[in-house]
Amino acid sequence: MDVALRNVNMLPVRTWNRLGINDTGLQEKFSDPAPYRGKALAGSLPEGVSLTKKPFPVSDAETGMGKDTADFVESHSNCGVSLCAAAGTKAEKPVVLNYEISEKNPTVIDCNEITAEEGSEITVVMGYRSEGDVPGFHGGLTKLYAGKGAVIHLMQIQLLGDGCTHFDNVGAFAEEGGKIDIVQAELGGKHAFSGVKTRLGGTKSQLNMNAIYLGDHQRSIDINYIAQHTGRKTSSNINVSGALLDEGQKTFRGTIDFVRGAKQAVGHENEYNLLFSPKVRNRTAPLILCQEEDVDGQHAASTGRIDAARLFYLMSRGLSEAEAKKLIIEAQFHPVIDRIPDMELKKEVSDFVKGRLSQLESMG
Amino acid sequence: MEKKKTMVKDIDRTIYDIKDKVHPSYEVKEGLTPEIVEEISKTKNDPKWMHDFRLKSLEIYNNLKVPDWGPSLDGLNMNDIVTYIRPDTPMRGNWAQVPDDIKNTFERLGIPEAERKSLAGVGAQYDSEVVYHNVREEVRRQGVVYTDMESAIRDPQYGSMVRDHFMKLVPPTDHKFAALHGAVWSGGSFVYVPPHVKVEIPLQSYFRLNAPGAGQFEHTLIILGEGADLHFIEGCSAPKYNVANLHAGCVELYVAKNAHLRYSTIENWSKNMYNLNTKRALVEEGGNMEWVSGSFGSHVSYLYPMSILNGENSRMEFTGITFAGKGQNLDTGAKVVHAAPHTYSDISTKSISKDGGTCTYRSSVVILPQAYGCKSSVNCESLMLDDRSRSDTIPVMDIQNDDVDVGHEAKIGRISDDAIFYLMSRGMSEEDARAMIVTGFAEPIAKELPVEYAVEMNNLIKLEMEGAIG
Repeated sequence: MDVALRNVNMLPVRTWNRLGINDTGLQEKFSDPAPYRGKALAGSLPEGVSLTKKPFPVSDAETGMGKDTADFVESHSNCGVSLCAAAGTKAEKPVVLNYEISEKNPTVIDCNEITAEEGSEITVVMGYRSEGDVPGFHGGLTKLYAGKGAVIHLMQIQLLGDGCTHFDNVGAFAEEGGKIDIVQAELGGKHAFSGVKTRLGGTKSQLNMNAIYLGDHQRSIDINYIAQHTGRKTSSNINVSGALLDEGQKTFRGTIDFVRGAKQAVGHENEYNLLFSPKVRNRTAPLILCQEEDVDGQHAASTGRIDAARLFYLMSRGLSEAEAKKLIIEAQFHPVIDRIPDMELKKEVSDFVKGRLSQLESMG
Repeated sequence: MEKKKTMVKDIDRTIYDIKDKVHPSYEVKEGLTPEIVEEISKTKNDPKWMHDFRLKSLEIYNNLKVPDWGPSLDGLNMNDIVTYIRPDTPMRGNWAQVPDDIKNTFERLGIPEAERKSLAGVGAQYDSEVVYHNVREEVRRQGVVYTDMESAIRDPQYGSMVRDHFMKLVPPTDHKFAALHGAVWSGGSFVYVPPHVKVEIPLQSYFRLNAPGAGQFEHTLIILGEGADLHFIEGCSAPKYNVANLHAGCVELYVAKNAHLRYSTIENWSKNMYNLNTKRALVEEGGNMEWVSGSFGSHVSYLYPMSILNGENSRMEFTGITFAGKGQNLDTGAKVVHAAPHTYSDISTKSISKDGGTCTYRSSVVILPQAYGCKSSVNCESLMLDDRSRSDTIPVMDIQNDDVDVGHEAKIGRISDDAIFYLMSRGMSEEDARAMIVTGFAEPIAKELPVEYAVEMNNLIKLEMEGAIG
């Protein structure tokens, strides 16, 4: 089938059209989605977590990539789960969902809902992989609801091969004292799109968002993160870091939106980009929207080559320039990779990054 | 106990709001038609190329859409705007000959006094035409040309230079209001500074729009020769009317090799004004462009001075402050394109929103593939003085090679209670502490302004504090 999605990853407030950053489009031709063959859920569910058929608690949940993309997944999904963590329970182990693109599953469209009831805590790890460079398409929609005092940890690890186009669309909502903790690793695929919108509606609700990306060869990555503060004393912390090599391209839109009434809200956003080739392109639009006086909003971004002093130090310790650069990229990714709760997956991600870096021509 | 709000008074506009009786010698009908453009061209005795240029621009205007990304322009109806209105006086070289009411207006604004004290030359535009232009003899002897645009176009020596540069940097196709400007422009200043000439004291143009429901479309063209140096100051104001007024000026600045231009603006249009102004500079090798911009007036502003760093080692600095009060939506910022290697840009802005006003900081930094070894730094800070106002920060960076060092910082917030507490613990009253913090917030911009403008700015932001920590 052909898909042509418009208004993807829209900036909440538009700017000059000629910069081409207000939104993007997603056009792709792929095999019709057939029922997913295989089992996404690895192992059993931890105690306190169950599959649910209850309607998602937020009827108007908005997502980072936008309505068109969400509607597409809801009408074409061929897999996905709806999970619920029962009130007051703390899941001891993570729920692991593996979605794999292969010759028998060339199209994966997963629609997931995660509800954490009052006082519960749940960790969900989603892995997206492919069989080598098999052509394929992945589109995902994940909605999160953290009830009063509940905590959701979501890790989305994308390790697809160069034959795949991928998107991940997330919408999250947190009630009073609720906490949303998201890790996204956009490390593979030919074209990758990702959008996360979090509405911090409850007093003292929190968002922690940590993301890494790797744009090598001719890969393009398009990201849109929105933290919308509507509740009092809410806090958001968004950290994005990554590396662009070869002819890699990345667009990052990051918005902190303080809605009137979000008194004493704090929103911080940091972005750190390392560039390794004269042919890369890095676009950034870090927005702060503010209708409330009593807030603290900050954004910082830094883009450039590796600090020459750091490189010199490592080379003076006997590493080649290429080895030193790889080490610095790995080190940059480590704080995020370290958050992965599963040792095996942690090693898999680390090896995936090492594998991609070892193929690179532009490492000096 | 409820927190008491810091009270910041509205800008005192008394002297700007004094209206003169409107008695133009000539004006066109409201609206925008080929006949009106023809009429303006005829009455200004345009050369043929300019006549054709105006009509072509009108065609472009009719084919372009209103921007879909900024503050609403719904209140602006071109059918209600008088695009050309000539005051009842020719241009003078002596203040004494300027009619009394117009002279008194400029006297109240302090322009003749400033000329006597601290300026190398002054141009004063009233509605659509320049009514006074003068430059000091010693500056003229250096070969500096400072005159109104109409005289420059017809000047045997500089006419071709004007033609070669006019709307080449901001073509009418740039956006709808650039096209409008191309069609109905009138007035403005032309400056030429020959190579290696340093103009020690600033030149100033002041633009006053007196007539209700009118538009002002002045064109400023400044050309600096190699190694030349100039400080140009631009001031604008208008009295408040109940109908929309429009300002769609255009500023084109050519900074040659190793030249230095500082362009300072204090914009204090009345709150019925749509200020849709376009400013652009082309900076050649080793050239240095400095913008200092204070935006206090207008109902709606779209203002983003742009610098194209075209030559190696060229640089730009932009320092701006925006103050939006009740009924104002001021969308301001800067744009820079790094088109050559080893170029440098620094953008530093402050904005204050109060009493329901909206400030938007909007910028773009583009580093092209060939522009290696570039540095760019963007820093914007916003202060919210109440929760009825709005302040948005919308910067974009587009980096197209790896040999760059690009940094961006943005902060938004209120006056910190900790800072107040600290100052009070050092013996200050709370009112003084708040006043000091707000003045300190604006200070980095104020110190970049010429002294008399810094004083004007401080008068503009009449800050009166009261309140107590909750």
